[in-house]
Amino acid sequence: MNDPSTLSVISTKKIIQMNNVWTSYDSKSYALEGINLSIDKGTNYAIVGKSGSGKSTLLKLMNGMMTPSKGTIKIDYQTPNMNDKKFKLLMHKIGYIPQSLGLIKNITVLENILIGALPRLGKIQSMFKIFPEEEIQEAKNILKLVGLSGKEERKAYMLSGGEKRRVAIARALMQKPTILLADEIVSELDHVTARDIMNLILDAQKRMNLTAIMVHHDMQLALEYANRVAVIKEGKKILEIGVEGEKIIDFQTGDLTSQEILEMYSDESKK
Amino acid sequence: MNQKNNLIVGIIIALVVVASYNVDANPLDFVEGLPNLAIVAEEMTQVDAELFGTAFWSMLETIQMAFIGTMVGVVISLPLSMIAARNLNSKFVYGPVRAILAAIRTFPSILWAILFVIMVGLGPFAGVLAIIMYTVGFVTKLQYESIETIDSDPMDAVSSIGVSKWQMIRYVVLPESAPHLLSQMLYMFDYNIRQTSILGLVGAGGIGFYIINYIKFFEYGKAAVFMIVVLITVLIFDWASVKIRDKYIIKSQHGMEVNAN
Repeated sequence: MNDPSTLSVISTKKIIQMNNVWTSYDSKSYALEGINLSIDKGTNYAIVGKSGSGKSTLLKLMNGMMTPSKGTIKIDYQTPNMNDKKFKLLMHKIGYIPQSLGLIKNITVLENILIGALPRLGKIQSMFKIFPEEEIQEAKNILKLVGLSGKEERKAYMLSGGEKRRVAIARALMQKPTILLADEIVSELDHVTARDIMNLILDAQKRMNLTAIMVHHDMQLALEYANRVAVIKEGKKILEIGVEGEKIIDFQTGDLTSQEILEMYSDESKK
Repeated sequence: MNQKNNLIVGIIIALVVVASYNVDANPLDFVEGLPNLAIVAEEMTQVDAELFGTAFWSMLETIQMAFIGTMVGVVISLPLSMIAARNLNSKFVYGPVRAILAAIRTFPSILWAILFVIMVGLGPFAGVLAIIMYTVGFVTKLQYESIETIDSDPMDAVSSIGVSKWQMIRYVVLPESAPHLLSQMLYMFDYNIRQTSILGLVGAGGIGFYIINYIKFFEYGKAAVFMIVVLITVLIFDWASVKIRDKYIIKSQHGMEVNAN
């Protein structure tokens, strides 16, 4: 505690740092080109861009599912690596909700959520599906939180689109995460359901003091819910803004109002 | 394009003619042989009803052999298919296992039966072993193929949670491939009943033993009794497995479609 560097780390903890990150899926082209990102702990961060801009790739880098071809990434001061036992422990603290949600269709809602607790379980317990009573209680509490009480025994494939998203959120929360990553979680939903889901995440984020990083298609939604927004275009970060009420601070082009930003980039995200 | 197709059809016809000449397959022999079939058919109508009891018990033995063979075979296939699935292991693991499985599949069950008769002697046990081998060879292949077609999205999502490989198999792979496994078990049991019915030809137990022996002694009427019992049994199991499939398997596959949107 006497070490001054520790103190500064606590005051402005950079939970995610990306330094000149390049990635490619094939040898011909890059999906991301020289991304720099720095995200403080507890931020509600949004990444906006149209499809193919590389925004999903950014999330996969943050949970260690992908590795950069150039540059460095630090998640909680660790380099992501799926084969590293130490990073696997950290992975459990990163709740990741892919765009496809990744639910298991033939098992129940409760079982889907309990999967979030698996790394906390012993070998024998997980082989025979013996979940400790407190984990089951925790899962039920989270179910209540996401508004799915009474649907514990429903098979996942029987749920509606909005309900499936709630289950995916619940599974991520079951991990007791410090970081929540969500890839276009509300893109396919109608306006009202989308807002319900966003409010739910915002609520959980505040309650659990999470760092939330959400990828969006829709600039309006990002400005409404995030306190920092990055715009990605063709693999490059073209803008990063802080949202404080109506005032938007652009680090590259000076102060703008949210209306101006919307006008500038709405066509960007709707294309 | 059309001319190319004509050429291909021409070549295929030519190959069939050449091959028929080589193996001495003459359609005229078939026509000349028809009266012989009539004799057999006529004798077969003189069914020896007293034998129905024996036929029933030997069919029951056949079904039991097929049942043990299928179940034990499936139990062995399950872990093997996890090892042989490309999306779960490196090629140094699945490669050798697949090679062994391919070797197992090259023998039809009747050859396995001969091998096991030599090993454990005449009787149903040799037949059971043969059915196990055959089932392992096929169900493992069917099963690892269905594991490989599992949607990679849930696997990616769950692996990002930081679960172990065993947990992945237990909580994603097994539930996602279970409907296929049930359908494969039914298919295999159905198929194994037919197979086991002929294993008696090489002395590996089951109803085939009676059929081959009565035919050898030209007692077609007696052989017919056993053949009728096989026919009825196979039809019943065919019908039952369609019913079971409709009831349990189609439903969960429909669920997959619902989820796909």
